[in-house]
Amino acid sequence: MTEKMIKQQDFEFVEKDFSEPASTKIKIKIENVGVKFQDKNGIEPVIALKDVNLAIKEGEFISLLGPSGCGKTTLLRCIADLLHPTSGKITIDGQSPRDIRLQKKFGIVFQSPVLYEWRTVRRNVCMPMELLGLPKKERTAMVTKTLELVGLMEFGHKYPHELSGGMQQRVGIARALAINPELLLMDEPFSALDEFTKEKLHVDLLRIWRKTNKTIIFVTHNIQEAVFLSDRVVVLSPRPGRVSSVVDIKLPRPRALSLKNTPEFNDYVIKIRNSFEGV
Amino acid sequence: MKTKKINKNMVTNILYPVIFGAIILILCQTQIMHKILGTDVFTLPLPSRIIEIISENIPKIMVNVKATLIVSVGGLIIGSLLGYLLAIIATVFPKGGAGGLSVAAAFNAIPIVVIAPIFNNLTKGISSDASFRSMIAKTLVVTVFCMASMSINAYRGLNELPPFSVDLLKSYAAGNFTIFKKLRLPNSIPYIFIALRVTVPGCIISGVVCEYFAEYVIGVGRQIRENIVTAQYATAWAYITVACIMGIIMYIILLIAENVLLKGRKS
Amino acid sequence: MNKAKKLLLSKKMIILYWVLGLIAVWEVIASIVAVTKRSPENVLPHIYQVIASVFSNTMAGPTKTITQIVISNAGMTLWRAAVGFLIGMAVGYILALLMSLFKTVEKVAFPYLMIIQMIPILGIAPIILAITKDIDASRIIIAAILTFYPVSTNVLAGFKSVQQEKLDLMFSLAAKRKDVYMKLMVPASMPYFFTGLKIAAPMAITASILVDTLQGGGGLGCMLSQSLKHAMSIYVFWQIAFLSAIVGILSFCLMGVIEKILSPQRKAKL
Repeated sequence: MTEKMIKQQDFEFVEKDFSEPASTKIKIKIENVGVKFQDKNGIEPVIALKDVNLAIKEGEFISLLGPSGCGKTTLLRCIADLLHPTSGKITIDGQSPRDIRLQKKFGIVFQSPVLYEWRTVRRNVCMPMELLGLPKKERTAMVTKTLELVGLMEFGHKYPHELSGGMQQRVGIARALAINPELLLMDEPFSALDEFTKEKLHVDLLRIWRKTNKTIIFVTHNIQEAVFLSDRVVVLSPRPGRVSSVVDIKLPRPRALSLKNTPEFNDYVIKIRNSFEGV
Repeated sequence: MKTKKINKNMVTNILYPVIFGAIILILCQTQIMHKILGTDVFTLPLPSRIIEIISENIPKIMVNVKATLIVSVGGLIIGSLLGYLLAIIATVFPKGGAGGLSVAAAFNAIPIVVIAPIFNNLTKGISSDASFRSMIAKTLVVTVFCMASMSINAYRGLNELPPFSVDLLKSYAAGNFTIFKKLRLPNSIPYIFIALRVTVPGCIISGVVCEYFAEYVIGVGRQIRENIVTAQYATAWAYITVACIMGIIMYIILLIAENVLLKGRKS
Repeated sequence: MNKAKKLLLSKKMIILYWVLGLIAVWEVIASIVAVTKRSPENVLPHIYQVIASVFSNTMAGPTKTITQIVISNAGMTLWRAAVGFLIGMAVGYILALLMSLFKTVEKVAFPYLMIIQMIPILGIAPIILAITKDIDASRIIIAAILTFYPVSTNVLAGFKSVQQEKLDLMFSLAAKRKDVYMKLMVPASMPYFFTGLKIAAPMAITASILVDTLQGGGGLGCMLSQSLKHAMSIYVFWQIAFLSAIVGILSFCLMGVIEKILSPQRKAKL
């Protein structure tokens, strides 16, 4: 059944059209979600998340921003069905995260590239499609397409250890896109990279997002990164992890690096930074 | 609720193997196992008979246990110290030392069966007392085995240091000896235990195997061989059991020592 | 000049120096033995004497020269070691898979795995012989038992060392269990598997020789004990000593070579 569904989309990325008003269809609904962890030796449970309410629209680029320990990764893992909330409910298109996962609609990019060191770049990107049982011809075509998208065409036959950190992370993105997922979940994907590589990847990611029209949930602890990339920034605060504010970023798209020099951009950064000082 | 869960986990950790062991023992005792394997109580004696033999012969067994322990533990201690010393020398002279350790590693691949007779013959002239020179020969074999394993692991521990740690100490104008004392030595301790996990069970086994070939008839291993050759299988099994128990006790002591000494190193 | 110096100090050359050094030590001791002992070839012959014995036509038995005896018996022993090694490898891998798939199996089997390595092999040989009724089969089984332990524990450690995020990725793709193992766990644990094989290969050979000594029939171990009892030329022993040492080391190296061939990313590194 899943195979059929993916074939229907025919692996054509639908380009985003900014002249049209943004979709208002709610994609993900997070209602009163709470997560409690049991401390290793203590009896006191750690409250990782408390009463999180959030609605994420289709095609939206949303960032979860906060210091370490605020539960941003926990929230992402709940959406990805890697973790079950202790209370509350998450629905995606009216279905549970588990159903969405079984339909293979998630693409995940981790903090480290998590590549298979025994496979070449091409075969790394190919791996999720092998799991889906797609025919070889389609796989090859899709690998070429996604590698083109992330700009790694010439490196297809290299092994991961032969690539730089930035390139490895691009392979990770290409792999996540390979099954044409509806949701792209990114957990601090650029935090280990240097500033120059990071800025380049920011621009690339926005270009990819525009070309593929995915809903992206992006976890970060970098305020500038969140403002530059997102439609909306969800600010979380720790102990207990909860949403302290949601900031709409009404900066024009498509965005270029020069945006970072504008006073509007800095206003958003300052606004969000100040919201942390209040905590 | 969680503490309950941990307890349950720990209980099954111990309970499952104990149940399995009990089933095997019962199968042996009721001779069902003998039917399955197509053997008889003569070659695979009843567990109760083995226990009986052990309890009846405790003084004699202890004499042999003592002989084996002297050889095994003696070889383990001397071999570990020599191995560590070798690793230090290799660290001080990195150019030639690393290659020397590759050669030492090769010693691990040489069958004990051939090393044991060579040492037996070499030590013939040491003393006119057969029991003494035989013990020296056996200890030497165990020493070679433990030394190879220890030197390789200790060398890694002395040299695989956290990044920049040497630079940090050098920035305080620390000399090579200080770097060794404050950094390399503590860094190598977990690696020492990696080696010991191999050599502690290994020293008993190699001690036992050496005894098979030794000149002087003593030790748990020699008793196993003698009793097998004379088809006293029940007695042989009693000594096999004793050898296993020795290995297990040594291993448990090692684990306790590791727990105490490496406390706080691992999360 | 500089190139020559570099070559002389390369890693391979340094290993060669060490080997030469060991040979020198051997020869010094052999020379001392030669003057002080009555029958020096029993204690420590010169290496050239051992090499000479390989090419000599002295009869060690009724029909065969020393070298012929060693070679024909080496074939038998190594064949048994190899078969046992392969069986032990397969069984060890399967057990590691089962332990990784079912927590209960791990809980039951792991402590016994530790105990198996404490059992003196020679001790269980007669029991296995009584069960199989065939000396060759029991020799193979014993080589298998010794192989099985290091393979099993190392592969299990390999499965456990797989990065959690790689497992998360598989989970998020709703991968079937079969795929998780075929595409992730098995290739990821390869280096651990080969670590196990490198330990096991010389052990299988040692076990095979050791068990030979217990019973009659053919095999390096039998010849070794006969030679030590002076039932045949002592040079049979020395040839076996050198041969088994070389084969033991080669078996270790062979595993490393196979590993390099099978892991493409390492080949790319070379």
